[in-house]
Amino acid sequence: MRRRYRFWLVPAVLALMLSSPSGAAAVTPYEGYAWAVNGQDVHSVNGYVYSRSIDGAYLPSGPFKSPESVFIAGSGDIYVVDTGNNRIVQLDAEHRFVRTIGDAEGAGQLNGPKGVFVKEDGTLYVADTKNRRIAVFDREGRFVREYPAPESPLLGRGFNYSPSRLVLDKRDYLYVVSDGNTQGLLQIDPGGAFKGFYGANHVGFSWRRLLIRLLATEEQRSRLATVRPAEFSDVDIDAEGFIYTTTLGEPYNQLKRLSPVGVDTLNGGAKRAYGDRFDVGPYAMAAFMAISVGPDGIMSALDLQTGKVFQYDKLGNFLFAFGGIGEQNGLFVTPADLDQSPRGELYVVDKGRHRVDVFRTTPFADLVHEASRLYVDGRYREAEALWHEVLRQNANYEMAYVAIGKALYNAERYEEAMAYFKLARARGDYSLAFKEYRKAYIREHFDVFFAAVVAGFLLLRFGVPRLWRRIRKGVSRRQAAGIAIGPEKGEAP
Amino acid sequence: MSTLRMMGQVLTHPIDFFQELRDPGRIRWYRAPLLVLLAFAAKMASIMVTGFAFQTREAYEISSLFELVWIVVPWATWCVANWGVSSILDGEGRFGEVVHGSAFALVPYILFAVPVTLLTNWLSLDESGLYEFLMTLVLGWCAWLLLLMVRIVHDFETGKMLFIVLLTLIGMGVIWFIFILLFGFMSQFVYFVLDLIKEIRLRG
Repeated sequence: MRRRYRFWLVPAVLALMLSSPSGAAAVTPYEGYAWAVNGQDVHSVNGYVYSRSIDGAYLPSGPFKSPESVFIAGSGDIYVVDTGNNRIVQLDAEHRFVRTIGDAEGAGQLNGPKGVFVKEDGTLYVADTKNRRIAVFDREGRFVREYPAPESPLLGRGFNYSPSRLVLDKRDYLYVVSDGNTQGLLQIDPGGAFKGFYGANHVGFSWRRLLIRLLATEEQRSRLATVRPAEFSDVDIDAEGFIYTTTLGEPYNQLKRLSPVGVDTLNGGAKRAYGDRFDVGPYAMAAFMAISVGPDGIMSALDLQTGKVFQYDKLGNFLFAFGGIGEQNGLFVTPADLDQSPRGELYVVDKGRHRVDVFRTTPFADLVHEASRLYVDGRYREAEALWHEVLRQNANYEMAYVAIGKALYNAERYEEAMAYFKLARARGDYSLAFKEYRKAYIREHFDVFFAAVVAGFLLLRFGVPRLWRRIRKGVSRRQAAGIAIGPEKGEAP
Repeated sequence: MSTLRMMGQVLTHPIDFFQELRDPGRIRWYRAPLLVLLAFAAKMASIMVTGFAFQTREAYEISSLFELVWIVVPWATWCVANWGVSSILDGEGRFGEVVHGSAFALVPYILFAVPVTLLTNWLSLDESGLYEFLMTLVLGWCAWLLLLMVRIVHDFETGKMLFIVLLTLIGMGVIWFIFILLFGFMSQFVYFVLDLIKEIRLRG
């Protein structure tokens, strides 16, 4: 009897062992992580997971060929810039084919387009890169007009117009990224006239350059490569009219939020490194190729170096990273652009695999987004409960400790706020909370402090002089006695 | 005279203290290392009692060995360089006196570093000026005692004393430079010999 039980038990246990893990684990080819102040990444829950792809194979228009960009309109319509096929493919929110644009022969025919922007009324502005122009189509896909290459003495003689990405502001001014141009975004008015450069990057001061300039001869200097400001790679615009840019070839402040006068309002003069920390491996600079801004100011940026998408909140705090270079679903071969749908999904264009990958948020990401939205608006109290839930799901999420600390600080619960700031190693905030705590503590125990001050004064005024007199008297008495006996051994006279 | 009483004297009557250093029988060999170790202890204790807001380093970034090296090495090179420079330029102090005097110049730091650092537990960051002022005061006191030591032990006038101190600082730089150079040469030499042995083994 017993032997038979044992006979059945072994396969049963084996079956249990084999079956349980595969059902429980959600498989993503990348690991979620968050930044910690001690200079290391810590494990975190993934914010985005791969959901599906659009490769065009089952659409009437046929498969995509090296698509460079994607744009998702407020209505949910998706515009894929199908660069290799020289056209724009318009899909609705359910990925059903609507129309192709710019592939008919005539004035509107596109040649290697790299970017598109769709106005709220459905007018399309296409960066028609190889034709060196901006082509405009109406909402039915009919060619309307074009903006040829701008002409201005400001552009200089060697200027090469190669429009790749563009946005349109509320005045219908175009802001165009021209590949390889280091002077900034080109601002073009609705009439097609060049209105100047916008938000140019600057070359900072460098001791090394100064030294070289002082020591090098004319001939040596002419052989050095001229230092140019870094070029922009992508541009996006939010509902308030702020323009977001990504910059190539810089280790700091690669993401910028430019105000209407072209001043960076995201980094505020500080040096912030976006992307991965490369201090563990061989040094490589993050190369941000694309940026997309959500309705709450949450920025997602695509780094070509690691093939990862990095997401930041409106203040530039790191939220999530996902993706990478590879062959599995969820990784990319050559990612080129990304955009966010009204439903919060991220569409990433993989040029190397000729398709668009769709990533959906996890419940954890929804929670963080909602908490971060309230937090950025300064509604700390409402955000507090959400942050507690974030911590329950992931105690490594350091941002949550700061946020809860701020909520407690606003609620004048300074001692608890100090504990949370301490957990997040937020020294400045800790110090502010401590100051308030100290103020409250002294007010509460005012009687004790007052008594201590009075006692201290009395002690200094009467006690210490009296003690001093007594000691002096004692010493002189001892000295008088000492003279009679003679100096003590080893004592200084 | 006990070490404790000498510490009291260097704070209250520094001029007498340094003059009496030259009396025979004042110098005990164990006092200087003891005071340097006390300075190290004060340094470690003040790191430990620093308030959270004032901590500039995380705990894992602090190494007690490094802190010790950062006190002992500058102090020792100061002693050697000062003694060397002064001996060449008619200083009267002997090596033992310089070592002794330099060690006792650390007394203000040993006694006051911890109490001043304790303040950081009751100060907020925007009041850090007070803490920094007091800390500068303590370190300034130490520096002043060092200058006084050079002046009295070697019997210099003020002008020459400052000149000697400048030369001492340069001398310290030279000593470090030579040591780093020697270290580089030595490691090159060791690697050369090791490579040679490896080469011979592989051929043989």
